[in-house]
Amino acid sequence: MATDIQNKKIYIVIPVFNEEEVIKNVINEVRNIGYGNLIVVDDGSADKTFEKAKEAGGMVILRHKINRGKGAATKTGIEAAKLLGADIIVTMDGDGQHDPADIKNLIQPILDGKCEVVLGTRLKHPVGMPWYKIVQNHIGNLITWYLFGLWVTDSQSGFRAYSRLAAEKINTRADRYEYDSEVIREIYIYKLKYKEMPIKVRYTEYSMGKIQKQGFFNGFKTVYKMIWKIIN
Amino acid sequence: MPVHLYQVAVIIVAVVMIYQGLSNFAKGKGGQTFLKLFIRIIVWGGMALIATFPSLTNFFASAIGMEGNINAIILTGFILIFLIIFKLLSAIERLEQNISELTRKESLKEIEKNK
Repeated sequence: MATDIQNKKIYIVIPVFNEEEVIKNVINEVRNIGYGNLIVVDDGSADKTFEKAKEAGGMVILRHKINRGKGAATKTGIEAAKLLGADIIVTMDGDGQHDPADIKNLIQPILDGKCEVVLGTRLKHPVGMPWYKIVQNHIGNLITWYLFGLWVTDSQSGFRAYSRLAAEKINTRADRYEYDSEVIREIYIYKLKYKEMPIKVRYTEYSMGKIQKQGFFNGFKTVYKMIWKIIN
Repeated sequence: MPVHLYQVAVIIVAVVMIYQGLSNFAKGKGGQTFLKLFIRIIVWGGMALIATFPSLTNFFASAIGMEGNINAIILTGFILIFLIIFKLLSAIERLEQNISELTRKESLKEIEKNK
């Protein structure tokens, strides 16, 4: 059953990888504020993430048989939402760091017809964000701007909303964390109207402790992949 | 002209590699395309030629405008290796994309079926 705001079908895409501890909570939080159309994409988790999501039930749960990365999983979720007739697609992380209460702020400019993409930004009010994350993100923004031509305040945020039109136009090739920057490139190429919206981030011991998150080393890999995609 | 051990070794390896390439191409095995065979013959044939006639490197060095014959060979080798690595990385990237696309199609099968 579609979540109906101004007769729009709104789908929430949550890519997950090894999030068995928190996935049920994340799903319930999103549901509790009234968004029933969830698409959870398990990106080949080695733990019981898929089973835990299934236990929560009542949503679309997709599974990558092998791990392909956050970008690939997000794209799978967006493709699924398009197949299901979504008018607006929201993507958010599966580790609980994003507050579902921000979804309404993300979708409102699209509902109002003011833009096609809304980018959640952690850096407008970076309360509780560790200093090295802030530095990392500024570096990411600078590299994204230099390589892809568009300055945004949080190029690495996964909390975003897309109109149907934007979801049809944006075609990414990036499988891993460079996906977030590639979306910025697509916005620039297709001249999609976008808006940045401050979001809350909940950095917990759990989310900070995950090894597959975008750390300094993974950051270098992301930059390398961004450059490689340009020259290849 | 005295024959050194390295010359014999390089010629034997080159002959084996070219023979394998020709044999695979003739049998249509191992995805051996004409381009791959051509590159194999150029690389290994070139090494065998230089091992047989080391003085060719002087001609080669003057042809590409370098003073030292060894420098010319090393530089050419580096360029060749760089090109091969670039091609390999491109192929890996393409394969990665294909794997992601297959994985995606497989996971979306149910939704597409019910559409």
